[in-house]
Amino acid sequence: MAAKFVAGMALVLVPTLLALHNNYWLDIVTFTYLMAALAGAWNIIGGFGGQFSLGHGVFFGIGAYVTAILYTDAAVSPWLGLVPAIALATVVAVLISWPAFRLRGPFFAIATMAFNQVAFVLVNYLDWPTNGPRGILIPFRAGFANMIFLQRWRYAALMFAYLVLVTAVALLLRRDRLGYALLALREDEDAARAAGINVLAAKLQGMAISAALTAIGGGLFVMYIRFIDPPTVFTLSDVGVRFALLALIGGIGTLIGPILGAALIVPLENYLRGSLANAWPGADLVVLGIIMVLAALFLKRGIAGAATDLARALARWRR
Amino acid sequence: MTDPLLSVHGASKRFVGLLAVDDVSFDVGKGEMVSIIGPNGAGKTTLFNLLTGQLAPSSGEIRFRGEIVNRLGPHKRAQLGMGRTFQIAKPLIHLTVLENAMVGAFARLRALRQAEEKAMLVLEEVGLLDRTRRKAGELTLSERRRLEVARALAMDPELILLDEVMAGLNPSEVTRAIDLYRQLNARGLTFLVIEHNLKVVRAFAERVIVLDHGAMIAEGRAEEILSSPQVVEAYVGRRRT
Repeated sequence: MAAKFVAGMALVLVPTLLALHNNYWLDIVTFTYLMAALAGAWNIIGGFGGQFSLGHGVFFGIGAYVTAILYTDAAVSPWLGLVPAIALATVVAVLISWPAFRLRGPFFAIATMAFNQVAFVLVNYLDWPTNGPRGILIPFRAGFANMIFLQRWRYAALMFAYLVLVTAVALLLRRDRLGYALLALREDEDAARAAGINVLAAKLQGMAISAALTAIGGGLFVMYIRFIDPPTVFTLSDVGVRFALLALIGGIGTLIGPILGAALIVPLENYLRGSLANAWPGADLVVLGIIMVLAALFLKRGIAGAATDLARALARWRR
Repeated sequence: MTDPLLSVHGASKRFVGLLAVDDVSFDVGKGEMVSIIGPNGAGKTTLFNLLTGQLAPSSGEIRFRGEIVNRLGPHKRAQLGMGRTFQIAKPLIHLTVLENAMVGAFARLRALRQAEEKAMLVLEEVGLLDRTRRKAGELTLSERRRLEVARALAMDPELILLDEVMAGLNPSEVTRAIDLYRQLNARGLTFLVIEHNLKVVRAFAERVIVLDHGAMIAEGRAEEILSSPQVVEAYVGRRRT
């Protein structure tokens, strides 16, 4: 298992090495790692636990804002700023999930989506400490302590490390008692209870871990693009829904799914934006939308699921 | 006499305007095999839900291993040693058979390896060892029911509550299931079974409790109860004279 994990992660590192001297490609690779990790963090509660949260933008936003505010207002290194960011996101996650977990299925999804919108309005309204709609600009002062780098590849390395962390946590969880509890309650809550699982506690723990990891992504993201305003982190289609979508397309509830989803969609999006949007504004989104509809129709278990089916069919055909 | 494993005292459940379970009292001793029977709508399933913690009784007392469990939820009772199956089997269909059993094993164990070993042991016991890598959704009905029993067994329970586990099985599968329960009972496991099929009840229950309209109308040794006129009347109707 460990060998497989190391091999898989080494494979994921290859694009960085190929793009090492091309800042355009390096940027795409960096974003792909980030989105893969965020989709992986979402997958812990959304995939393993089957709790279809559309409110992960809240935790992402908390991670980004806390890190950015502490850095610009109090000169706290982002490395340290991540700690309170994680703590706040975890607390908020437990507080808002507690009531939301009374709801099941689509109703849970809608409730979490509402939390995302509340966060948007709140942050937009508050002048202090979030600077309202004007947002926060982070001045460029390169240095390891500032998590701001001159060489682009360092960002790629940072996001790669984040992806390794998220995947490792997911892997450990998948082989842990809590992981099994999440899988069981996803399948059937009554059956899970009959097996001695405290369903609410397991959901809350899963959500807390997922939110903590998402907050780290928010912090890394804001130090990479060095600007944050409410639409950047709270636009549903770009953030909260996107995490879920990438995991869905890749293969929900699997370890590799979020990585596959991000590897397909993020570069494709970039390509479409570059090639189509100039000729016909909005065309890239139309094409992307069609691809997602097709994935929803024909790849019900994502790329990972389709690959498994294909491998099985091949094995049968050879026999 | 030692304390009974499960003790129900004056348990009632009232839904608006309907007394579904009416002042039911009985004990189940360690190692017993007890069956609850009764016609449709007699309140068997409601009583079952009171025992597993799905519902809380309106009045009365339920003790398990000497502890009052009236207000404990299903997962707490499961942790105390109450395993159960569902009337409509609830296998975790996207998980493998092994993983299903492991979910139960994790109730007592922490480490993955131990849970896996325990799961293999109970899967062998119920005869699913050749299916461990299959998805639970691919199993036949009879296999699904055995898988539920395996999941319950993996928790190392003291009492197993079975809800109509024979429904939908063919005669040879029924025989096989009865053999399994007898074998487990011989090992010291206590069974409380809701069963519709009187043949099945005759085959394995030592003691029978009869419910009708929510109330207990009879209790006693299986042979006596199943031939008592009162029970026959409640169950199959009055004999025409």
